[in-house]
Amino acid sequence: MNKPETKSKDVYILGIESSCDETAAAVLKNGQVVLANIISSQVPIHRKFGGVVPEIASRKHIENIMPVIDEAIKQAKITKKDLDAVAVTYGPGLVGALLVGLSAAKALAFALDKPLIGVNHLEGHVFANFLVDPTLKPPFLALVVSGGHTALLIVKDYATFELLGQTRDDAAGEAFDKIARVMGLQYPGGPEIEALAEHGNPAAMDFPRAMLSNGYDFSFSGLKSAVINYLHNEKQAGREINKADVAASFQEAAIDVLVKKSVHALVQTGLKKIVLAGGVSANLVLQKELAAAAQKVGAELVHPEPLLCTDNAVMIACRGYYQFLEQDFAKWDLNAVPNLKLG
Amino acid sequence: MLTLAIDTATKVCSVALCDNEKIIGEYSIDAGMTHSDGLLPQIMQMLERSKVNKDELELLAVSTGPGSFTGLRIGVATMEALAYSLEIPLIGVSTLQALAYNLSLTGFRLIPLLDAQKGNFYAAAYEWEDNILNKKANVAVWSADEVINYAKSSASKVLLLGECLKLSEKIAVNNIGIVPENLRLPKASSVALLGVHNFLKGDRETAFLTNLEYIRRSEAEELWEKRCQKS
Repeated sequence: MNKPETKSKDVYILGIESSCDETAAAVLKNGQVVLANIISSQVPIHRKFGGVVPEIASRKHIENIMPVIDEAIKQAKITKKDLDAVAVTYGPGLVGALLVGLSAAKALAFALDKPLIGVNHLEGHVFANFLVDPTLKPPFLALVVSGGHTALLIVKDYATFELLGQTRDDAAGEAFDKIARVMGLQYPGGPEIEALAEHGNPAAMDFPRAMLSNGYDFSFSGLKSAVINYLHNEKQAGREINKADVAASFQEAAIDVLVKKSVHALVQTGLKKIVLAGGVSANLVLQKELAAAAQKVGAELVHPEPLLCTDNAVMIACRGYYQFLEQDFAKWDLNAVPNLKLG
Repeated sequence: MLTLAIDTATKVCSVALCDNEKIIGEYSIDAGMTHSDGLLPQIMQMLERSKVNKDELELLAVSTGPGSFTGLRIGVATMEALAYSLEIPLIGVSTLQALAYNLSLTGFRLIPLLDAQKGNFYAAAYEWEDNILNKKANVAVWSADEVINYAKSSASKVLLLGECLKLSEKIAVNNIGIVPENLRLPKASSVALLGVHNFLKGDRETAFLTNLEYIRRSEAEELWEKRCQKS
């Protein structure tokens, strides 16, 4: 199916996102023009616990949800009545966190007589790329890498996704976070490891790369355990650990697998574009290596700008815009689906 | 004053529509369903059956706890967004006080209880005096024994409300009264009446936040503090 014709009237979508530790709202015009992108991050609040505490996250969401929505509408310089639909993340994510944004979105849509659109958070991450590259059109390949997910999928059209493979255990971002924790780095660990790795030698240690006999599934628990075991063994032996080398070698091993599987998928499917999505897509080494490897097989990489890599509501509004065009509206009893799948 | 009120602090999902003191409609479900899927449809059905358009509403009232953390947040997020969209005021009322409002009966010490997990209760005590509901004990977490001891030592005759059936045996042994079943659990009509009363008295919420009465912090915070005290 091709992209439907844009109606002559402008379409304003309010996006709402509260699946984890960011409360976010955004207003998007015609699926392309970002009129407002408000994010209230809770990262500093969860840092002392070494990870996201669900109950604390939910409490911050309920404090922030309406101020964030109000700010988005004000910044967009529209009125509530100008909105054409309310798009909200209904999964995957933390159930208590999802319910805050979802409850607010349902009531807003009902009270304003606008349709409600339920958005899959992961599809939102993929659709963030439409905002970066206006020429991007399905079909293309997508690599979703975040703290909760690692998956390769084909975006066949604006509503059809085919899952090629996903992680069988830990997500790539989860391995980053857990290793960072063992190394005494602060939460979230991904950016910390990346920064440390800049000064390290990626070939210093040979950590395992789980290729799982060339299929499209991933496994990062072996790599994670190998790195953590290495850190424990060196500590027990009383040897000084070169943290930068460990970070660089681990990062290289993780990225190596992500890139090889992606390239394999590009070659097998013949697709000429691959997009990155999810929090780990902010990793510059991943961007660089995947772009270079894709180029070698005649394909091009698209990746979101840093602000759109992490959780945000612009991507939810963008996914919502395409669902709006398809009239893919939710019913009023829409519930949160914490383990919502892709494809 | 056309008022829509809800209570989602317990497993009862209750919505009510009142015009000042007249209850136009009340719709409560206690069938083990989640509030997130049922709350909005329940509000819509009640409005439709009452032939009241949402744009005619003048005031919203929500019970803000204590109670189930997630239930409270579903209710408060829904009502805040309704208030924002319809541009009408939202007033928050205590779940325990609203429970005591179920029974306007002079001469009794009313003790509403809500499950606070691990054998504890969120509790408070009220008494109707000259048509005014006065608070006799502040909202706190009480153990089962504290509830019973307070009830036994009360000068007035005691009636328990809310999620008090977990204390059935102790209640029977100590000959403590429980309100009839039809008045025992949260009713949105009480939230509406109390909300209107407080609103006319001059209570106003600032901007959005209706402060939730969690009473308790999250378990992670309690554990973290204990760990810090140890080290």
